[in-house]
Amino acid sequence: MEILVCVKQVPDDSVKIGLNSSGKPAVDGVTMVANAFDTYALEMATRLKEANEGTITVVAIGPEKAKDALKSCLAVGASKAYIVNEDGLGDMDSLTTGYTLSKAVAKIEELNGAKFDIIFCGKETTDCTTGMVGAQLAERLGIGCVTGIVDIELKDGGISVKQETEEGYNVVETSLPAVVTVNKPAYDPRYPTMKSKMAARKIPIGEISKADLGVEDDKIVPSVKVISLSEPPKKQAGVKINEKTFEDTMAKAMEILKDAKVF
Amino acid sequence: MDNCIFVVMETAEGVIKNVGLEMITPAKEIAAAKSLKTVAVVLGKNLAETAKQAANYGADAVITVELNSDYSSDEYAFAVAEICKKYNPEAVFIGATQNGKDLAPRVAVKLNTGCASDVTGIKMGDDGKIHFTCPVYGGTILAENVIDTLPQMATIRGGVFKKCEPAESTAEIINENITPENVKTKIVDVVKEISESVNLEDAEVIVAGGRGMGSAENFSLVKELADVLGGVVGATRAPIESGWISRAHQIGQSGKIVAPKLYIACGISGATQHVTGMVGSDYIVAINKDEDAPIFDVANVGIVGNVMQVIPEMINEIKKLRA
Ligand SMILES: Cc1cc2nc3c(=O)[nH]c(=O)nc-3n(C[C@H](O)[C@H](O)[C@H](O)COP(=O)(O)OP(=O)(O)OC[C@H]3O[C@@H](n4cnc5c(N)ncnc54)[C@H](O)[C@@H]3O)c2cc1C
Repeated sequence: MEILVCVKQVPDDSVKIGLNSSGKPAVDGVTMVANAFDTYALEMATRLKEANEGTITVVAIGPEKAKDALKSCLAVGASKAYIVNEDGLGDMDSLTTGYTLSKAVAKIEELNGAKFDIIFCGKETTDCTTGMVGAQLAERLGIGCVTGIVDIELKDGGISVKQETEEGYNVVETSLPAVVTVNKPAYDPRYPTMKSKMAARKIPIGEISKADLGVEDDKIVPSVKVISLSEPPKKQAGVKINEKTFEDTMAKAMEILKDAKVF
Repeated sequence: MDNCIFVVMETAEGVIKNVGLEMITPAKEIAAAKSLKTVAVVLGKNLAETAKQAANYGADAVITVELNSDYSSDEYAFAVAEICKKYNPEAVFIGATQNGKDLAPRVAVKLNTGCASDVTGIKMGDDGKIHFTCPVYGGTILAENVIDTLPQMATIRGGVFKKCEPAESTAEIINENITPENVKTKIVDVVKEISESVNLEDAEVIVAGGRGMGSAENFSLVKELADVLGGVVGATRAPIESGWISRAHQIGQSGKIVAPKLYIACGISGATQHVTGMVGSDYIVAINKDEDAPIFDVANVGIVGNVMQVIPEMINEIKKLRA
């Protein structure tokens, strides 16, 4: 089975990103990582591959340094990787990203000499958080799509997935090929080992340029435009109570809370 | 019916989801500025009553599309796109529920237009375009977006806008028949694991527990404190993943966004993904044994201490106060 996992490199999601002095997201110096939900997708794909058989390819659209995210994927389940060089693609919104990815899928299928059966995406990215790219990729490819899944298995030549809902989950079936977008499952992504990291370093990363994709220029003009960025009003920190004894701390806390008519 | 704004209503068992009715409010504001009609598009099963409800909450007209389920991706995306092609709305608002966020991107591709995601603010710009506020980077930055193509689509977060006062309405109700094509996915089973209904969005008091509670048994202290205060229990992702409490209680980026009068955070570090869901609370009390925990940066009152000591004592004090 041929599996593709789409990965975006994003700033480390444990770092709080505000605006810098020129009003842009302050991402300089922040470690870049594979988007959390994409790592969940890769782990799910890897488990599916291990339970059956198959090959996992990862693809990222991004700058040269996004190869780091792909290398980390090669150390935890993927065996092939492609980077779509973002040069010439300009600013992208979800719509143009979905379109560009659909072109990348066709190109990689040509290079691999095989069609993908399942394409995994994260449910959303931790930077732009639109949560739209996976569904838009499926729409462009004209294939089935299930969003926000937490489990997957092969069934009758297609797949059966668990899609998380507010009250539990839906069991959804679809034929292949299909796109799935992955929510946080019950398990965490595995860590690479020294050995798997070394092996990953030896795998060449295929390069795909804008020209290779054959994108139509009018289809990579973003329709969603950012006019301005701002930070939400900051909440002021109040008092922190840390007296010598527990009794004093509690007495002081209760006094403040009573005065503030909180209780 | 040219020149209209569509507000897409999701129904569950014959009832319109709140966010659907809430979206009528900003839609009417935009409609007024641009002389448009606000049209509710109601999809689902047995829609006679729900269509009436949408009209009573302020829609100028209602379009109904009877479909076989409360939601199914392929059918709904097809139906909404077809209705849009027929009526050419200037804008399409869809609730940013799980289903809405599944539906909107697919409709956007079918109509070849842009969509703003998880919108928390809407205003009419001087440029004649709708300006949408969207949280990015987990809510630490707000982006103001415009959409250059038509219709201007957006998914709108629940709880941001207030519903209008309902009034008896005579708005026109149009039934459209659509037979979805190209259905590829099928929901074969709907499993309800979580039976409790947890209303965090409307709670005035929330007591939330994190990994620092230590165990499922200790987590019951959070519930006890919530009970004493007549509040609702919230949680970070950590205790949910440990199985101490159900997912329905999750607060944050992938859970509920809440804004109670009082929020008590117990053994919670204050990761951005959590803080983004509760920073709008009026008054925040945090209990954490680590005096450098980031949760203290957003707390009105921070108590440095062990939850196992602080919470029981706090419960005692509150009981005394209320005796
Ligand atoms: C894509 C993504 C989405 C996410 N979405 C969400 C979300 O929606 N909601 C959410 O909450 N998280 C979410 N997370 C997880 C989030 O990043 C944090 O991991 C999580 O919020 C941490 O939970 P916590 O504060 O309970 O645990 P920790 O960060 O482990 O903090 C525990 C705290 O308890 C304190 N403590 C320990 N023992 C005691 C004691 N005895 N007394 C007092 N204090 C004590 C410690 O000092 C520490 O500060 C998401 C993460 C990702 C990557």
